[in-house]
Amino acid sequence: MDVTGASDAEVVARVLGGDREAFGLVVRRYEAGLLRFAGRMLGSRDAAADAVAESFVRAYRHLASCREPARLRTWLYRIVANRCKSHLARRPIADVSLDEAPPVADPTDTEVELERAEQLALVQRALVRLSPEKREAFLLKHVEGLSYEEMASVTGERIPTLKMRVHRAREALLRVLEGYE
Amino acid sequence: MNAIDPRVHQALDGELSPEALSPELRRVVQRLVTTAAVLAAQLPLASLEPRVMALIRRPVPSRARRLLRWVATPRSITFRVRPVWSLALAAVVALLTLFPVGREGPNIGEHEGIAQFVGHFPGAQSVHVVGSFNDWRPGSIALEDVDQDGVWRATVVLPAGAYEYMFVVDGERWVPDHLAERLVADEFGRENSIVIVRPARR
Repeated sequence: MDVTGASDAEVVARVLGGDREAFGLVVRRYEAGLLRFAGRMLGSRDAAADAVAESFVRAYRHLASCREPARLRTWLYRIVANRCKSHLARRPIADVSLDEAPPVADPTDTEVELERAEQLALVQRALVRLSPEKREAFLLKHVEGLSYEEMASVTGERIPTLKMRVHRAREALLRVLEGYE
Repeated sequence: MNAIDPRVHQALDGELSPEALSPELRRVVQRLVTTAAVLAAQLPLASLEPRVMALIRRPVPSRARRLLRWVATPRSITFRVRPVWSLALAAVVALLTLFPVGREGPNIGEHEGIAQFVGHFPGAQSVHVVGSFNDWRPGSIALEDVDQDGVWRATVVLPAGAYEYMFVVDGERWVPDHLAERLVADEFGRENSIVIVRPARR
């Protein structure tokens, strides 16, 4: 049965009902955002791929404990965020190659693409200078587009705490970016 | 730290229209919006679907193998039990270690023990226990309230080891067992109970 257009709750119900392959849709639906979030958190594409893959497997094994399947996305972000923080506790980002595959000038790249790659490298350097908590708050709010209520569900923190972290992250990012100019 | 004008935060939080800001403050807002947009670029990575699905399809190791791995893995365990629970803990430990295995009792292997789950859920229609011993699948281990006093019980034989578990009441309410030997926070933000099953035969 094609479940491509099914809601998250319907897909979760199918998987729990024994249709293991339906979980592939969960992966396809959310991997891009989760990989981006983990990549920006960890500063490493390989570490991000490992963290997100492990998180999906854990999510599958504990899917029955997902109390609100309609909010599957938030639940997945919570698992990945925890995985990233565990990774950073073992291996701080200062020890991680910021960009293990830096953009290499290709003759076919346009000037706009090269400029974008330089911008990204600059912003990533500023981002990794934030504490993991501030980095997480900024990414969830401004890059992944979560509401403060969803962020509270992901992080387990109170909304005023998260707002303060986002504010501090904005200030720190601006200061660092101005320093590069 | 250079503080940003609070109106910039309000605009970025959707509480104030950027049009209400001075050109200088609008430039700050735009700077941060651009920064976020740069970070929003997708990472050029191959799909994880084949890798994840291969891991999911891989057979789960047998209980014996998981037990062996658990036993072989060095770990430190700290028990912090509230005094009021110490009696309950002592009773549970005594039950698990001294439970008489009579001739009519369940057939217990050398590396297995008995775990008894008890919860007080007056008015409940059903109570199940789910945990790491049954891959958190509801429905497989049901508790019974034989005398209908609201106290639900189940006794099961499990491979020796430590397990996280919760009760599922009426098929939808997940409740930790606050009389458990330990409670731990899991990565999903819940509090799971811990039961330690010791081998019944020594």
